[in-house]
Amino acid sequence: MTDANPPPDASTDPPTDGDPLRIDAVERLCDDIERNVADVIVGHGDVIEHVITALLGRGHVLLEDVPGVGKTMLARSIARSVDCSFSRVQFTPDLLPTDVTGVNVFNQQTREFEFQPGPVFGNIVLGDEINRAPPKTQAALLEAMEERQVTTDGETRELPTPFTVIATQNAVEPNRTYELPFAEVDRFMKKLHLGYPDPDEEAELLGRTVGDHPIESLEAVTDRETLVAARETVSTVQVAEPVREYVTRLAAYTRENAHIGVSPRGTISLLRAAQARAVTNGREYVIPDDVETEARVVLGHRIETNGRERDGIAVVEDALERVPVE
Amino acid sequence: MSPDASSHAGERTVAIDTDGTVDAARWLALGCVLALTASYVSVLYGVTQVVGGSRSLVAIVGLSLAAATILAGLIRPRTAAAVAATGAGVGFAYYFTSAGVELGVVLTATDRLVSDTVALATGLPLLRMVQAGTWTLGFAPAPVFLSWYLAVRGRYAASVVPGGAALCFLVLTGDAGTLVTLTGTLAAVGAVAFGELRRRGGSIAQTDLLAVLFAVTVALSLSVSVVPGEPTGPTHLTQGDPGSLEATIDAAPQRSGISGQVDLSPEVRFTVESDEPTYWRTGVYDRFAGDEWIRTGQDERYDGRLASPPGSTETVTQTVTAETELGIMPVAAQPVDLGGEVTRRTTVSRHGQPRPETPLQAGESYTVESAVVDPSPAALRAAGTDYPDRITDTYLQTPEDTSSAFGDRTDEVTADADTPYDEAVAIEDYLESTKEYSLDVSQPSGNVAGGFLLEMEAGYCVYFATTMTQMLREEGIPARYVTGYTTGQQVDDDTYVVRGLDAHSWVEAYFPDHGWVRFDPTPGGTRSDVHTDRLRDARANGNEDADTDESADVPIDGTDPGTIEEPPDGGTPDAFDGNETEPNDPSDVQEPQNDTEPENNATNDTDDPETSFNGTTVDGGDERSWLERLSAIARESVALGVVALVGLAAGARRTGAVARLRREVGVYWHGSRGDPDRDAERAFERLERLLARQYRPRRPSESARAYLAALSAAADEGELPTDPRLERVLEAYERAAYGGGVDRADADAAIAVVDDLARERLPVIGRRE
Repeated sequence: MTDANPPPDASTDPPTDGDPLRIDAVERLCDDIERNVADVIVGHGDVIEHVITALLGRGHVLLEDVPGVGKTMLARSIARSVDCSFSRVQFTPDLLPTDVTGVNVFNQQTREFEFQPGPVFGNIVLGDEINRAPPKTQAALLEAMEERQVTTDGETRELPTPFTVIATQNAVEPNRTYELPFAEVDRFMKKLHLGYPDPDEEAELLGRTVGDHPIESLEAVTDRETLVAARETVSTVQVAEPVREYVTRLAAYTRENAHIGVSPRGTISLLRAAQARAVTNGREYVIPDDVETEARVVLGHRIETNGRERDGIAVVEDALERVPVE
Repeated sequence: MSPDASSHAGERTVAIDTDGTVDAARWLALGCVLALTASYVSVLYGVTQVVGGSRSLVAIVGLSLAAATILAGLIRPRTAAAVAATGAGVGFAYYFTSAGVELGVVLTATDRLVSDTVALATGLPLLRMVQAGTWTLGFAPAPVFLSWYLAVRGRYAASVVPGGAALCFLVLTGDAGTLVTLTGTLAAVGAVAFGELRRRGGSIAQTDLLAVLFAVTVALSLSVSVVPGEPTGPTHLTQGDPGSLEATIDAAPQRSGISGQVDLSPEVRFTVESDEPTYWRTGVYDRFAGDEWIRTGQDERYDGRLASPPGSTETVTQTVTAETELGIMPVAAQPVDLGGEVTRRTTVSRHGQPRPETPLQAGESYTVESAVVDPSPAALRAAGTDYPDRITDTYLQTPEDTSSAFGDRTDEVTADADTPYDEAVAIEDYLESTKEYSLDVSQPSGNVAGGFLLEMEAGYCVYFATTMTQMLREEGIPARYVTGYTTGQQVDDDTYVVRGLDAHSWVEAYFPDHGWVRFDPTPGGTRSDVHTDRLRDARANGNEDADTDESADVPIDGTDPGTIEEPPDGGTPDAFDGNETEPNDPSDVQEPQNDTEPENNATNDTDDPETSFNGTTVDGGDERSWLERLSAIARESVALGVVALVGLAAGARRTGAVARLRREVGVYWHGSRGDPDRDAERAFERLERLLARQYRPRRPSESARAYLAALSAAADEGELPTDPRLERVLEAYERAAYGGGVDRADADAAIAVVDDLARERLPVIGRRE
């Protein structure tokens, strides 16, 4: 390299909003976030990666698990690692839609109604225990997720960019929850499971809780503009014809072998996730392996099966096993 | 582009494709119909080549094709069939008129027509018909017209019917040989197949199946050696073993073949008691096909009396006793009366030669009364050239391929002769003096007469007699080729023992008011020597069949009673019907010779004929024959071989053998390089096959990276380690297949890695790891 003017380092000199970053810069960014989060969350490296790729792939994440395995902590760590607005909604059975979207409040001084933005107006929104709220309230959030805008009293307001919802739901107490409708689950790019930590990991976890909780000392490693630029980069990642065909074949397989197969929105999500995955591996093009890595979490919750013993994940596993790559 | 548009585009492409195929299929189908037509027309052409009229045939076929092409768009099939039938009717009517049959008779005598047709369909070769040329010209137009008419109208399957029927008929008459039949059959199959392909819009690629079918047909046909037409083996009784002079002369009742090297059999065939020693005639042939003689016309049952020659004759009475089973009936020319049991089953050819329908048994005998023509040379010189039409119609035929050089040479030879007789004598002298006698010769290709006169230096009686007959005809003198036996060994005053090695052929020329007069152009002396040696060998070898009781005591040479041989031989080559001397006597003069020959005839042969004759072989003859034989074999078998090869190739393609082989070789050899992307992909494919051989093949659902990862994981568990260089190949592959492509250097690096790996894994004996 005899070049006197080395290319500007993207991470130290973030470009303006919307300009894509170089691939290696995005790769480094992802590594930074992952390492940062790993300071708080013990283990679960794959889940952390999935959340980060969802963030880059403009998707929303649904974390489903038993209480207390760190769902909320994961979401908060991600949010804190990026210097952007973060809000949190604790869903309860009595939560109203306006508690999420915001409400028009009468200002006594100006004698006018003023819009008081709800928690949904944030770059990263944590929807905790989303299945505890009634469908009406859930719908308010889900509508915002899909359309990236909120409509109250006839007025439509754009949500900020980036906008990513990380929702959690409890897998216990099914009789005291409102299960998300199938059509609405489809709007999450990924549905992830954390699961219990390994014994080693749990010991490590316990060690960290002595003293201040690490999340309090977590510093942001990037900012909103860089994240937006990174998302631009991801959207430029090349998806070759054979890969698109592979995705198509996978979707077709689920449609043939399940009650309800993957929707076109599902295949679009899969490609976006795969694009993000390619970037995190330092590649400017998607390979079938990226698709494979993302397929389980992206497609699994979009498939409805008749039998209880086989869930959507199993169908996806079958598809990966049977569908030819080329 | 909208999905709609693209799907339309796709449809259009397919349509164009189909059109192309259909067009190709149409031309191929038409080509096949033409090939089928050519197959049977070639047989007919062969006939006209012999009897004349090949130009007319070509013209008729051409006209038929043209008419069919023009009329295809104008008339309906029914009309076309009527036109063809009319054409055939007119053609055959012409044939019957020229054959001297009243048309009215034809209409009434249908049974005769039917029997003729049956005779043809059961193996009567076309060339045996007296009016073969006219028949051919009458036969040709109908199938040619009809099949081409249907083919042009696109009804290929139907067009094969008239063509195939014509070919079948020629197969039944025995005129179509294996190659022609095979070609016609393949063409018929091809026409139907391509027609179907066109009709159903199949892909031209499907023709590989057809190629396989062709190959199978060819292979099967090679294993079937006998087609009715190919007289591969005599089905009737012939005298002598295959390859002997007798068997050659007497190949079949209706034909007399000409072959290369022959043997002589010393076995005794028959004995004759006769007041005059003469030649014993067994066959008369009038049509020369270039490589064989054919007797035309139907044989008639012997009805007690035979026509006698017009001029003065001498009556000779013979009693012939068969010593072995005998399928022939030796008589002195011309027989006028036959006696004995065998006459009940005797047929007589239209040339006046009798023949038994079933062989004579050993010991069976019959009597013959012959009117031997006995004119003086002066009388023959004065005979003139006023030949009857029935004679000139039949006995002046020469094949169309007779070269002009043949005629020129004949003219030279006969330049000084003024009368037919003098011309005949001149020809006889010329052949006797310029050609050597040898049994060990190779048959020239094409016209034997031309080949012998112009190129060969030696031959045996068949060559001499054939050539002289053709030379006489060339000079306008009616002549015919005659086979039989020479006088034989005289064992008593009037008893002659005739052996297989006495088999002979000679010439009869026609003289007005006298009839057929014998000429023998074969040099007598050498023939005698050769035959004598044979008999001596046979006796020395203790061949019991070589003698009868009487003949056993008679020494072979010199001492015999009729050994007058010297004078003729040594003296003048013209020995025979010696010109200046006693003209008339062909017969007289012959005697001496005959005698000698017979005595000498003692020969042979048992098994080593060749050895004794090799000495006399013409130098170079062998070599040339070898080349010629090779080229003759080559032409046919190369053609068949090509078909078989194409079939094999198509079959291999069908079964994927070629692809498999290429894959197998491709593991070790990348081959030509082109597009870097393609090269990188191929490099990985090679790597994949390499790994598949060593570990396991990649599953279809497995991505390239997952495959290598799985192998590496397995390697961790104790299997052979995979090479870290693989990562480089994998990356190049992924970049080529899914990314923006690779540059030349990366592709070459990947190829280099795979080359290295392949070389390391070459299955060389003794290499470890």
